This record gives sequence, structure tokens and C-alpha cells, in this order.
Amino acid sequence: MASRPILFHIFHRPLPYGPTLALQQKVHEFQLQRRRVSPDSHDDVLLLLEHRPVYTAGRRQTEDEVLVESTRLKNIGAEFVATQRGGQTTYHGPGQVVAYPLLDLRRMHLSIAQYICKLQTAMKYHFINTYGIQSVDSDNTGVFLSEDVKLGSIGVQIRHRLTSHGLAYNVTREPLQWFNQVVACGLTGVRAGCIAGATGRDISVPDDLNRFLPIMSRTFGREMININMEQDGQLQELIRDLEADADRGGPWPAAPISPISS
Amino acid sequence: MFPRFRHASSSLLRAPRISRTTLPSTIVQSFSRTVVTKHYTKEHELLSYDDTTSLGRLHITKHASKSLGDVVFVELPKVGQEIAQGDSIGAVESVKAASDIYAPVSGTVYEINEALADKPGIMSSDPESTGWLCGIKISKPDELESLLTAEAYENFCEGD
Repeated sequence: MASRPILFHIFHRPLPYGPTLALQQKVHEFQLQRRRVSPDSHDDVLLLLEHRPVYTAGRRQTEDEVLVESTRLKNIGAEFVATQRGGQTTYHGPGQVVAYPLLDLRRMHLSIAQYICKLQTAMKYHFINTYGIQSVDSDNTGVFLSEDVKLGSIGVQIRHRLTSHGLAYNVTREPLQWFNQVVACGLTGVRAGCIAGATGRDISVPDDLNRFLPIMSRTFGREMININMEQDGQLQELIRDLEADADRGGPWPAAPISPISS
Repeated sequence: MFPRFRHASSSLLRAPRISRTTLPSTIVQSFSRTVVTKHYTKEHELLSYDDTTSLGRLHITKHASKSLGDVVFVELPKVGQEIAQGDSIGAVESVKAASDIYAPVSGTVYEINEALADKPGIMSSDPESTGWLCGIKISKPDELESLLTAEAYENFCEGD
């Protein structure tokens, strides 16, 4: 049973999607290489962040489907990236927490279905314990405030039992207008909700993350250790490069440009 | 003593075809004794191999299908696609998780299970039989030696 801690890092500026995906890919490659040499020498990593406005598609969506959407959505000020994760179109942007657990399921003796369940449980537990938000049961994966309001989403890729991508949930109202431009997760008639809307309080993403991290720790039964950025290491270097990239990005649109009125 | 191969449940006795047409409606009966061997991988895949035809049929194992949960979508390689051992050749999507499938051996994909397009659920209910993924014309039979026997695979799963 794996009892080594999970190394985490919280990013403080919204990150561009493409370079963040590249970082996930590099971590995946390190983990795979190290595991081939010795089954327990690689670290599990948890990245906690926001993205700059971006819509992403899952691997099920066809090239034609993606092309039409990507053109439309780029015109309203977001990026569009087709990914290899499960699930369908979704939005990420400032005001939304994104968590990328990069974990070895084999070492944890977790099935894929159990892992998805833990991601869902972590979000539900966070909402009820931290904010008193009761989510409803749904046949659809994710966390719902009601039959037609979705608060949290999951989309994961598993290669050689190593995970990438992860979960996302809305803290502030900022993501909502962006969600209104698409049918997210293939669910017609379902709109996005947020913690601020559900509680009537203004919560910041950094405050929320401080409360979410211990819940992830408890859900996975693993200690969380902050990656020491003072140390030299491949992971630290990748993180520093990504943060520098984010700093160079400048401002992002606070709302979709000439959106469909909702 | 080789076991007599069961005709009814497998199309491995058909004459090998690389065409893209649908499966023949009759199964060619063979009176020669064929050996179909089963080979497993640490990626939880099963390859049934007929050494008289060099054709292999790829499945995920029951262990894998239990791990995944309900399968909602299967991404398969294309007929005619050349694959190398270890290549990612598609994915199985269960709810919100896309899990990559890897080529256990090198060769050419000569057929894919079209039934999965409408009924991806057969991968959950019957992964080692009707929920097969694709047929591979194997180019390097020596690669089979690197795969696991049923017993070795069971031992591997116990630690998984």
C-alpha cells in the first residue's frame, strides 16, 4: 500500500492550457521512466491551478465537430484545445479551481472506477463540509447542485495506470458566462453553477484551495507535501518555466467577446 | 495433446482476409488441429493467438473491464494500420476516464469489432469474448515470448 506523500504545488496566476498540458505530459514521462527502473521510485504529484479562458474537448469528439466549435469559440476570446481525456467539451478559466492529480493507480491499488469515484467524493465532501452546499445524486458523473445545475466536472486520461487531467469546479461567477456559450459535457439544458452563487458569499480561489487540499489528502489517504521550490529538481524547473510563461501572458478577457446573449 | 478448437465461438478459423468487407456469414470449418494460445500483458490485455494463421485477436481482460466500470465509448485502430509493440492504438472510455490501449505485439490490424460502435457495453459484460477489440496479423511471433501466461497474469493481478 503506497504511503509516500503526494507532492503538490499551487499556482498563483492563471496558466495557459497548452504549456500546462505539456507539463503534465513531462511528469507522466518521468513517472513512467522511473517506474520501469524501480516500481516505487517515482512521485505522485498534484497540481492546483486556474487556467486562462479555454474550452477543451475530449477524445471522443470528432475532428469535424471540433473544428466548427473551435473557430466559434476562439472568436469570443478563448483558446480551444482538443485533448485525449475522457468526457466532452468543457470550459476552464479564472474563478474555477482545476486540480490535476498525476497519480500511479497501480501503486495505490485503485481501479479506474474507484479513482473517478474518489474525485467525485472529494468535491462533494468539500462542498458540504466547507460551505454547507448539498449536492444531489445524478446518473451523470460530476457534482450537481440540482438536476440542471452542475458545479464540478471530471475528465481523466489513464496511460499505463498513470493519471492525467482531473477535476474542476467553479468558485466565482466569472466562468459562468463562458459556460453559457457551449453545451458543456454534452448535457443539454444543464447550466454551470458556482460556489459563490450557491452560498451568496464572495470566495476567492486561493482561500478555497486552502480548504480543498486537506480534503484531497483525506479522500486519498495520503499526506500532501508542498514541492520545495528552493530546491533544484526537474519538477521545480518545469513549474518555474510554466509560471514564467503565465507571467508573460498579460491580461485575459474577463467575459466572452460579443457572446450569444443568454 | 492439443485441445480441439471450438468452432462456433470464434472466427479465427476463417481464411485470413485483409479486406474491409464485413465478416462472412459462414465460418470455415477446419479439421486440422489448431492451437490457440492466450497471452496476457501488464496493461491488462489478452491476445488469443492462432499460430497456423499468425492471427491474433485483442481483448481487454475481465480484470481491466472491472477496473474501468461501464464502458461508454471505444476508440479503435483503423483496418490496415501498422502497429508496433507498445504503441498506443486506441482507448476505452468509461465514465469520464479514457484509458489507452496498447499493442501487445507488432503487426497489421486486419479487422475491428464494429459491434462496439453501437454497443460499447459488451466490453464491460463480455470483454474476453464478444467484446474483442481488433484482429492483428502478427509480424514478429517472437514478441509473444515477452507476454504473460494466464498464471503469471493472475499473479500479477494479485499485486495490482
